[in-house]
Amino acid sequence: MIPLFAVIKFRNRKNDRWRGFRLWIPLFLVWVLLLPVVLLLVPFAVLTLRLAHMKAGRSLAAFWQLLCSLRGMHIEFEVPDHGVFVRVY
Amino acid sequence: MSEDRRSILEMLAQGKINTDEAERLLAALDKSMSAESGAETRTKPKAKYLRVLVEDVKDKHGVPTKVNVRVPMQLLRAGVKLASLIPDQAHAGVNTALHEQGVKIDLSQIKPENLEEIVDTLEDLTVDVDQGSGHGTVRIFAE
Repeated sequence: MIPLFAVIKFRNRKNDRWRGFRLWIPLFLVWVLLLPVVLLLVPFAVLTLRLAHMKAGRSLAAFWQLLCSLRGMHIEFEVPDHGVFVRVY
Repeated sequence: MSEDRRSILEMLAQGKINTDEAERLLAALDKSMSAESGAETRTKPKAKYLRVLVEDVKDKHGVPTKVNVRVPMQLLRAGVKLASLIPDQAHAGVNTALHEQGVKIDLSQIKPENLEEIVDTLEDLTVDVDQGSGHGTVRIFAE
């Protein structure tokens, strides 16, 4: 299943106090908006993959698998005065 | 050959048990051994994520620089699968670029059939680097 939400959290420290904000990104809306574009681009992608001597079906399946497996990804960076947190649901 | 199996065969050779009894004992032994190995595989759950934790020296406020990355194993599988689909004629160029960056991997050796083996090997991976006090630590493990 493709990721449905992503959370991005930013933190800053000023005068020894942490402040920040959190963004919930509804990825399912992004996918819905991108769907017509993707459907239009698929024939071109297949043609390009064929020209590159790559198996189009398997390549698209692998790309889909890559997209679906993004769920559960968690990246967190924290330097002394700033912090970024990204999580994909 | 296990010790139990050897002792059953020795008893058979010495005539202490007949062939039927030896067969029954060996069958019972196989059954218990397969049950044990099944229990072992059940107790070891498959790792779902590869975790990379980096912690650097603390600043004047005592806050260390931290990196915490959790990569799903499925993502690694998909990545390796995608890499295995790279056409043969592109392998040389990619391999040269990787070698220049110090990554000595031959992409032509990555095939879908040994994909699971690669990811399963990563599940047993644990790397701990501790540079002592005042320096950073790096931990890479599967969870």
